[in-house]
Amino acid sequence: MGITVVQAARSWLFICLAATGAGAAAATCPGADSEALAWLDRMSRSINQVSYHGVVTLQRGGDLQVMQISHAVDGDSTRERLTQLTGQGAQVVRADHPLSCIHPGHRLLRVSAELQAGRCGIAEYYRFSVGDGERVAGRKAVRVRVDPRDMYRYGYVLELDRETGLLLKTETIGRGNRSLEKFQFANLAFDEQFPDTTEVNVVHQAQHPAPAGPSPDALAASSWGVHWVPMGFTMTDTPRDRLLRRTYTDGLAVFSVFLEQLDREIRAGEGVVRDGSTVSYTRGMQLEGRPVLVTVIGEVPINTARMVADSVRWAR
Amino acid sequence: MSERMRESLSALLDDEADELELQRVLSRIGDDQELRQTWFRYAAARSVVSGHRLDHLNLDISGRVRDAIAGEEAATIAAGARPGQRLLRPLASFAIAASVAAVVVLGGQQLAGLEGASGDGGQAVAGSVSPVGLVNSLGATSVQASYGTQPLPVLQPATRTAYQELARQRMRKYGQEHAEQAALNSPHGLIPFARVPEIRE
Repeated sequence: MGITVVQAARSWLFICLAATGAGAAAATCPGADSEALAWLDRMSRSINQVSYHGVVTLQRGGDLQVMQISHAVDGDSTRERLTQLTGQGAQVVRADHPLSCIHPGHRLLRVSAELQAGRCGIAEYYRFSVGDGERVAGRKAVRVRVDPRDMYRYGYVLELDRETGLLLKTETIGRGNRSLEKFQFANLAFDEQFPDTTEVNVVHQAQHPAPAGPSPDALAASSWGVHWVPMGFTMTDTPRDRLLRRTYTDGLAVFSVFLEQLDREIRAGEGVVRDGSTVSYTRGMQLEGRPVLVTVIGEVPINTARMVADSVRWAR
Repeated sequence: MSERMRESLSALLDDEADELELQRVLSRIGDDQELRQTWFRYAAARSVVSGHRLDHLNLDISGRVRDAIAGEEAATIAAGARPGQRLLRPLASFAIAASVAAVVVLGGQQLAGLEGASGDGGQAVAGSVSPVGLVNSLGATSVQASYGTQPLPVLQPATRTAYQELARQRMRKYGQEHAEQAALNSPHGLIPFARVPEIRE
């Protein structure tokens, strides 16, 4: 007989409610706009509350993509689907995601209840303000401006549906007020339709971190670690033996670190490519005598990637 | 090294430091070896990306750092170290000859002459400036013993291009795996997958 339902549920809980580690116990949360944080909380919860579908445009640099998105809440789980209407024409499906499964990034957005207790969380790393938004996909919106308090992350302008809190539009703002990426709903309906789409070439099932079965020993056996991340970033899942990736989130920004051991020496150096708000930073170097390639990919400024890569060390 | 210092250092190397941040870093650089090593490391790595020389900065840094270090150098001389050698390593931060980053062997080809072969520590720009600081601060053992006697090549644009290509390849290789995490841990639903150049089954 396989693992019991109770055991399985507990495993899901472990990964989905993994400790966030965010929010120093400050006496006050200076400059924390509680109205803005309440909207952020609502935004995060809305995906578990409303079914919707529509067409979304994604602008990155000169590139424009169009996609169809469907999202349904069925009892105690959600299912969602993204279909590219331009470009590759791929489809991504997430079937059956339990409502009880709250990943670290979303937990970091739901801090408004904790402000009273002095746990500022994400309000320590970003300044938030709320105002009237524009109309997006025919819906009245609330605008939440998000400004980073340090130079390790980007800013955002979010437009949330007034009625449901659903995120309708996100613009990622880089240094010098540059718009790096913008996605928004072009049209939107609140029902459970998963419209038939044109022929799809590739269907990918979105992954979910495996329940963290192994003991803390597995973590100790991980051969490498990241020793510096900007304040407020926390791991998204538990590294396992020989896992090549560590991912961190602050609730809005996410970056992943990959380590490859090389079988030959390499001339040290670094390379950077940027696409929209995403950076891919690769550094070849000697790490305590062993040649490695460290890659940082994420929606963060280059210097963040560089400094994170710089902090990678062997664990032993 | 404090968080604030790290930020100031980063801003400085991105040509975005203001006077206050410059002062903050300079006031500490004489005392803080970790700061010096980190500066050297960031500057050296950065030069490979942008081919950018720090002496383009509007602020006259070299002179002021030299002054700050002079104070420390005096103490070092008193302690018996060779002045030229001490001075060379921090100043090498500003010697953004791209050769600084060329530390190890690529495909069997030997790189050599990594000691400060120019000899006189007074030069701020040295084609064969020692990257010993770079190597040490990355935790590798000294490479001086490993190399032959061929002259150190300047880091060619070819290496910079090669790393650019490597970064592009890694974006394709790892982009989807990163998107999986972003799609679970940011408020954007499945949209992070749309950033992936080519989605795989």
